[in-house]
Parts: sequence; structure tokens; C-alpha cells
Amino acid sequence: MRVEYRGFLLHALGVAAFALMAAAAAQVNPLAPEKAFRFSARALDPHTVEARFSIADGYYLYRDKLHFAVEPAASGLAMPSLPTGKIKEDQFFGRVETYRGNLIVNLQLQATTPGQKVVVQAESQGCADLGICYPPNTQRVTVALPAAGSAPTPLDEAPKKQWFR
Amino acid sequence: MGSAAVLALAGGVLFAVWDQAPRDASAILALSLPDTSGRQQSLSQWRGKVLVVNFWATWCAPCREEMPEFVRAQREFGPRGLQFVGIAVDEPDKVAQFAKELDLNYPALIGGYGAVELSKTLGNQLSALPFTIVINRTGAVARTQLGPFKPDKLRSTIDSLL
Repeated sequence: MRVEYRGFLLHALGVAAFALMAAAAAQVNPLAPEKAFRFSARALDPHTVEARFSIADGYYLYRDKLHFAVEPAASGLAMPSLPTGKIKEDQFFGRVETYRGNLIVNLQLQATTPGQKVVVQAESQGCADLGICYPPNTQRVTVALPAAGSAPTPLDEAPKKQWFR
Repeated sequence: MGSAAVLALAGGVLFAVWDQAPRDASAILALSLPDTSGRQQSLSQWRGKVLVVNFWATWCAPCREEMPEFVRAQREFGPRGLQFVGIAVDEPDKVAQFAKELDLNYPALIGGYGAVELSKTLGNQLSALPFTIVINRTGAVARTQLGPFKPDKLRSTIDSLL
């Protein structure tokens, strides 16, 4: 009798928990794009900036919609090589590559001078698994390039805990 | 047809919507946008019908996935006074290609981001896609949906307004 009762309680708790989760799922509010696709950048040396996207769980970015620019334009940004993404077969577009989690891209600046400041601009576009897509979003970070021979600067936007999973 | 004109128009409408009650669809109904053949289409031509305005894009997979259901609903409820209108935040050639593949049986207009900005006042703060607005016969917003419209919910909403 007692065991049965405990079983019932557990079952009831389970049902209640499931109902709560279902209610929470129905009310999911999508993150703002700057939060879903958090952008930061830091200088590694006077001619290299490390650009990072920290992509929230359940969100993804399209590889072919990712564009970087650096101001001043005379910084001489070389065409960055983007890592291979997760490949999806899209019925309309064919092969589509997406990124989840952390994305790191090194930007080579061929014409900068040590100690100079640059503005790194990243245009990105992505979607959420809950069934929405965002319009292209542009984020900018100012990075101070180090003097020749000094250590890498800290990240210009405070990293969140989810960075190193 | 310059995109500047569309932007200017959307900007003007955006300004107009500022003063109005949030559930009023007149800013949407005042839109006039080119279709895939470049012909200007004013949304007010469907006033008096139950109008479902769907903001979408070909690059938005969840948008494309729900559109076959819209095609079915248009076929089924069209004779009773339902009109779907898609506003694509996209390039006209891509839209035309997808519309052909899908046998789209309702107009696909080209809106740009200026048009989707309009949906902010109707609860789509992030200008995300898909966003769907159901407008009743008197021009009031009956329901909005961010993200995929559940087929049964779509059908019951339409059915209750016809």
C-alpha cells in the first residue's frame, strides 16, 4: 500500500514536471541575434585578429552568409578561411554548411601598424531550431592591436561561461 | 523598380503605424510591393477577405517547410474568401524559382527588410521569419504567429473568420 502510494506520487510528480516543461517549451522566446550569436574579437599580434562567435545552444549560423570587414579599409584584410561547417542537404539550395557552438576565425591584416586600433565588423545570419530565422545582423568590436612583440590582448567582449564547453 | 522606393514606402508606412493601435492592420494593408514579375501589388486589393500575410524568405528553411500547408489552405479555403499573400525578404529570382517549384497558388511579393520592420509593431520585435499575420474581413489583426504556424491552429483560425 505504502509502496503503491509512493509510486503514485512519483508518477504525479513526473506528469507535473512534464506539463511544466511543455508549458515552458510553448512559450520559448527567441534570443535577440546579438545574444544568440555573440561576437567578440581580440588581437593575437599586430597583424592578426581572432574573431569569435559563441553560438547559443539550439541556434546556428550559415557559413556562406558570414562576412567580415575591418575599418579602416586600408588595414588590408585578407580573405579569411572559414572552417568547414556541418553539412546539410537543403532541398532548395543543395549543400549548405552551418556552424554551431563556437566558431573561431583568424583575420589577417596585411597593412596594419603595431598599436593601431581597428574596428572588426561581422555580418552573420542564422536560425534557431525552434523554427525561426533572423535577418542578417551586423556586430562590431573595436580591437587595439598590440605593439610589436607583446602578448595577445584579452577578449574585447566578456566571454560567457558557455564558451569553453 | 528601385529598392529605394520600396524602402521609402516602407519607411513612410512604418512612421504611420507608430500612431495606431497595435492590432490594427491598416499599415500592412497600406503596403504596395512588387511581385516577382515587377508588377506593383497593393495589399488593399484584398480588403474584405480573410487575409493571411506571411513574411518569409527562401534562405529560411522553417519558412519553406510550412508553405505547402499554406498552398493547401489557399486551395481549400480560397473559394470561401481566404487570401494568402507572401512577402519575401529576398531576391526576386530566388522567390520566383521557389514559387515555381512549389506551385505557389498565391502572390509572392518582394518586401525587403523595410517591410518586415512593419511586423515589429505586431509583436515581431526581432524581425524574425516566418511571421504570419491573420487579418479578418474588417481589417483587424485576428492572430499573429512567430515561427511555424501549426496546421490545425491555422485551419481553425481561418475557419472561425470565414
